[in-house]
Amino acid sequence: MMRRSSLLAESLAIVCKELASELRQRVALSAIGLFAITTLIAVAYQIGPYSLAENDRPFLLSALLWIILFFASMAGLARVFVKEEDAHTAKTLRLAARPHAVLLGKLVFNLLLLLALEVVVVPLYCGLMGLRIEGVLGLVLVMLAGGATLSISATFVAALIARASGSNTLFPILALPLLLPLLVAAIAGTRAAVGSPELGAVLPALRAISSLGGVTMVTALLLFPVVWRD
Amino acid sequence: MGVVIREVIVLNAGVVTVRFDGVTKRFGRQRVLAGVGGEVRPGHLLVVAGPNGSGKSTLLNILAGLLRPSYGEVRYLDGDVPLPRDDWYPRLGMAAPDMAPYEELSALANLRLFARLRGCYNGDGPLGTLLEELGLAAAHHDRLIAAFSSGMRQRVKLAQATLHLPEVLLLDEPSANLDADGHLRLGTLVERLKPTTAIAVATNDPREIAWGDAKIELAG
Repeated sequence: MMRRSSLLAESLAIVCKELASELRQRVALSAIGLFAITTLIAVAYQIGPYSLAENDRPFLLSALLWIILFFASMAGLARVFVKEEDAHTAKTLRLAARPHAVLLGKLVFNLLLLLALEVVVVPLYCGLMGLRIEGVLGLVLVMLAGGATLSISATFVAALIARASGSNTLFPILALPLLLPLLVAAIAGTRAAVGSPELGAVLPALRAISSLGGVTMVTALLLFPVVWRD
Repeated sequence: MGVVIREVIVLNAGVVTVRFDGVTKRFGRQRVLAGVGGEVRPGHLLVVAGPNGSGKSTLLNILAGLLRPSYGEVRYLDGDVPLPRDDWYPRLGMAAPDMAPYEELSALANLRLFARLRGCYNGDGPLGTLLEELGLAAAHHDRLIAAFSSGMRQRVKLAQATLHLPEVLLLDEPSANLDADGHLRLGTLVERLKPTTAIAVATNDPREIAWGDAKIELAG
């Protein structure tokens, strides 16, 4: 007989499965953790809190922070769909779950992974590099919006490339136009939060990041069912 | 719990028929299927046989809606009313060699996940009963699939395909890796589902061919 669970219940089931799988295998956590800690220590060792001129610090340290976050997250987020194809579990998932539930479940998992990365890396980075944040709330908002948009873009591109044979090559090519504007806006927002306690200083960057996230999300919702099932 | 589910099955018995006409599939220049037609309906099990590479799995994937035919059409009919493709999947169960359970989860966790996705999770009891019906003893239910033999994995795959009591069941080489006991249990499961479920089996095993009420023999 035909029964159907709600989209929310299906998405939650997929999030729980992803978390259980990740806690068991730790593939993404290891990749992200290794990259984040290695680059963080390398940057702190080479640059440290005192080798940059005071005027250059907000911009350079903001850019370095996002480079660390970006590359560390890409090491884990990009495989979220490819691993289903590699393990021959994608077909069962295609039959059992609605495409939007799969997309949302994977997206929420990637977002949780990225937020966990930010919670560990950002305070550690600020401490090691001696980065003083004037607008803490602004920084939190930029990190949340940037993390969400980065997760949306990475999940969408990961879905696009999952069934392509040269998926490892395709990822950076497809991701570049989506992620480059995001990184530029996120770095600008972080620099603004570092230099100013006013929330208004980060608003232009927040608007740009949210717009990018919104457009990518709508595109993903429209295209994913076709990509996933055909 | 299992008893309740079986009562529901009887009330909704035998509504979906799968009809396919002129199904042709090409991969590039290679033609795998040419004008295949038939019907899968409850109580009338269809066997798809043929040598390796004749397109048995391709045909089942097309019937599942996982692959589009190059020509021809597949329809799921609820009575005489064609169902939209999005309504095929909730009614469908499938087990095939290229479908695997999650290795990092236990047998029960795999079934729990798919029962939740299918909207039929009523606790672990019925899922454990189903695994036991397929010959997987309770001691194995909480073991990771990674530690399972290929025959035990096959039993989990069959449980995944049938846990939501599908109206259409597509089985591609269902007894692959099963021992004699597993084959017997599979036969019992198919017999139990057959009156209410449209079943198609792709196989070259003479014991499974004997289950069929109709047969499509694909050429190599």
